[in-house]
Amino acid sequence: MDMGTTTMDPTDPMDMSSPEPMPEAAPTSAPRAAPAVAPTRAPITRQELVTGIAPPDLASGLDWVAPLDRESAKVGHLLRRTTIGVSAAELDRAMTEGYQKTVARLVDTPVAEPPALPSAENATSAAYVKLGDLQTWWVDWMVKSPTPFAEALTLFWHGHFTSDYRKVGLGSPFMYWQNLTWRRMSLGKLGDMLFQATTDPAMLRYLDLLTSTGKSPNENFAREFLELFTMGVGNYIEDDVKAAAKALAGWRQPQTQAMVDARLAALAKQNKPLPSNPPKADPVKTGIFDATRAYTGTLTMLGRTGAFDTKGVIQRVLEQDATATFITRKLLTYFAAPAPSPSWVARLSGSYRRSGYDTRALVRDMLLSPEFTAPETYRALVKSPTEYMVSAAKAVGSQTLTRTILVNANGLGQTLFDPPSVGGWGDNDYWISSNTMLQRANFITTALGQTKTLPLTAGADQRLLEGVLGPRTAAELAATKDERKRWYVLLASPEFNLK
Amino acid sequence: MAFETGINKISRREFMKNGLVFAAGAAGLAAGYAAVPDVFARAVYSAKKDGVMNDKVLVMIQLAGGADGLQTVMPLQDPRIRTLRPRLSAAVDQALPLANTTLGLNRNLRGIKGLYDQGKVAIVNGVGYPKPSLSHFDSIRVWETADPTRKQMDGWLGKTIAKNYDSQGHPLVGCACGTSETPGALRDLQATLSVVNGENSFKFNGQDADRVMGAVYNGTPGIYGALFDTSVFTARDTVARLRTAHERYVPKAKYNDNVGLVYSSKNQLGAALQLAAELVISGVGAKILHVTLGGWDTHDQQLNRHDQLMAYVDQAVTAFHEDIAAYGMADRVLVATWSEFGRRPQESASAGTDHGTASSMFIVGDGVRGGVYGQMPSLAALDRGGNLQHTVDFRSVYQEILASHLLVDPREVLDQTFERLPFVKTA
Repeated sequence: MDMGTTTMDPTDPMDMSSPEPMPEAAPTSAPRAAPAVAPTRAPITRQELVTGIAPPDLASGLDWVAPLDRESAKVGHLLRRTTIGVSAAELDRAMTEGYQKTVARLVDTPVAEPPALPSAENATSAAYVKLGDLQTWWVDWMVKSPTPFAEALTLFWHGHFTSDYRKVGLGSPFMYWQNLTWRRMSLGKLGDMLFQATTDPAMLRYLDLLTSTGKSPNENFAREFLELFTMGVGNYIEDDVKAAAKALAGWRQPQTQAMVDARLAALAKQNKPLPSNPPKADPVKTGIFDATRAYTGTLTMLGRTGAFDTKGVIQRVLEQDATATFITRKLLTYFAAPAPSPSWVARLSGSYRRSGYDTRALVRDMLLSPEFTAPETYRALVKSPTEYMVSAAKAVGSQTLTRTILVNANGLGQTLFDPPSVGGWGDNDYWISSNTMLQRANFITTALGQTKTLPLTAGADQRLLEGVLGPRTAAELAATKDERKRWYVLLASPEFNLK
Repeated sequence: MAFETGINKISRREFMKNGLVFAAGAAGLAAGYAAVPDVFARAVYSAKKDGVMNDKVLVMIQLAGGADGLQTVMPLQDPRIRTLRPRLSAAVDQALPLANTTLGLNRNLRGIKGLYDQGKVAIVNGVGYPKPSLSHFDSIRVWETADPTRKQMDGWLGKTIAKNYDSQGHPLVGCACGTSETPGALRDLQATLSVVNGENSFKFNGQDADRVMGAVYNGTPGIYGALFDTSVFTARDTVARLRTAHERYVPKAKYNDNVGLVYSSKNQLGAALQLAAELVISGVGAKILHVTLGGWDTHDQQLNRHDQLMAYVDQAVTAFHEDIAAYGMADRVLVATWSEFGRRPQESASAGTDHGTASSMFIVGDGVRGGVYGQMPSLAALDRGGNLQHTVDFRSVYQEILASHLLVDPREVLDQTFERLPFVKTA
């Protein structure tokens, strides 16, 4: 079916645009799903509406024409999936390198860390780090980092091993540390990451492991560890949750020197005596094991009986096929396709397990899979709010939109360091509602208003969208002369909302 | 003064629906590649020949995270609660006793207790389902789809809308207030829904922005095309309706989101319920509304956390009822609370509780036949996981809401018939 043949409804009272799509923007043939007969369409009769707003015509029956047989389009597709938007420099470099070399660079380049944030590192109960500072620090780096794939992965893990500032609090560096940790470990071994996730100070607070004891375990962390972090619901039983809760108990949180000093100062200020055993700073940035609060004795977990400690629990979980499958599917669903085929998941999860859960190898496998650039993956994912806003900033070459991004984040549905639940954020259709679409469009209005110098729109649709525009977007662009308005059409379009 | 609830006023011609079929791009998926669930592949405006013509409104309040039942509706005379909850049972001493029962309400439910005493609140105890899941997400899905077998994808409220209201309706028939995303209970392939986070920010900024969005989001290709187009259309339509609603609505109760909580809330329950009240009172056609308050996953510090959340709910629900009643609409608006599960009777070392099973639901409105329904589960007969055994299937509650309040056929939504709990006044 030829996308260019779709005619706009001439009776649409709202349609003021030119009926002629931009010739260079309208692909001329669809490589797949071409029905023998054009889809039949019910006759549309326009009716008077109270609000005067015409409902959309949902009967287009069209899909995007995937251009992924072209190397340049494959590269654009790859970057949209991996780099939270595409800067001009990144695109030029990747186009020169080609797909394979770009994958190698994305996966193998050592991660560039964001500049240190002292107000977070030194946060105490007397000197909170501001949530806005933490968010600014990260979003700035998403826009500027020379290794943006690490930021995309950090965002992925932030939604997976998630924690929120409300419960963890901002009177410690814990949320900041967690962000640094996920970035450093983003392509490491899963086993190491699971140990870190268990003993991460923010996580200890968020899922209550720090108050759990062998005698009176708190199931919160153990349950989410099995359900959300490793195996998935249905692959374990309630007795496994209870056993894991016991085995994982015994961790306490570390204290920085600044936290200790703040506590002592608070006591002094209240004229309270120092405790006989005064608090001391810990030399580590992870949880500290206190054997006196741990469980002693044997347990049965996932079909094996023995003395389990934290490493033992992780080991047992890594021995389950469900773990490799669960993590692989989650990664593929996030970066590659909304419903990855079971055979693809099985192939990659098998390699993942054989590699000793080497996440770098898994990610490379994913990006080099033929499925990753199959036509049906083209625009098959919806950008998350953060991806959408950061990608818009990169599209117009602005590094000064961080504040606007943060102000709009809540309306679009994604506040960093504040996931809606322990399950993190949803994906794709989760992001599309009347509220979020309106707020996405409004973000673009504000962002364009704050960008003094915009690049020219000429060629932008080619660079950002491979020139694959739906007929309505093409028509609106063709009818719009003003450069700012053209940017609005491009960035608010459905095309730009997808990745 | 009350405006006619919009559903009766707005012509069915208002809304275009010709049974349009969105031919899925997903149809072209190659072999070896799983088909995308065709959530977006069908028309969302479905044709219904006969819609429901009444003025009833339902407001569901989700208490997300698993709200503890035993610190909400308490057995006052069962000593086992002291043994199971050495610290948390302090709440029992401050409970508000319900006359002629052995139960007491949380000390902070004073407003709801007042409405209960006026016969306007039904409390249903022991609500749950067979083989309960202790996973938040799994159990939320069960409640949202009204299906413990996990076969249904559509939400029970979405299904209710699609089966009964769409033909004469418009996007505001079903609306989630105070959130950015569509709650699962409202999702349905065939239902058109609104999501309005905050009224003040709900307008298109920028010259021509509204028109451009309408022009561009029309026949959008791809698997999300229908969802995109519907969402943008819904947004544009809602902007216009909210303008009308806002002009017509003068709040007659005080809503307050300035509440003390151990951990700050992500949701503004007062503002969300006030928006719901505005949509109902202004007669723009709202029928089924959904609001959420999170923070109930009280694995730690439950005594204070739960009590403070109770106060928040009490204040917001009471204000909502007062507002609606001042407009003479309290007999046609039903408010019901739900949560994915109650919590474990045994407290933990963290002075909190783990995930549990059965709990109590509140149904509030002048159309309610007030009282206590359902058997309080026994603390002496916990299941092998140490949890309460449910005595009422949650679908019995849904059934009564659908059949006796909304006056629709509950079997179309629930597929089967459940024991009747007659908590709605019927003529």
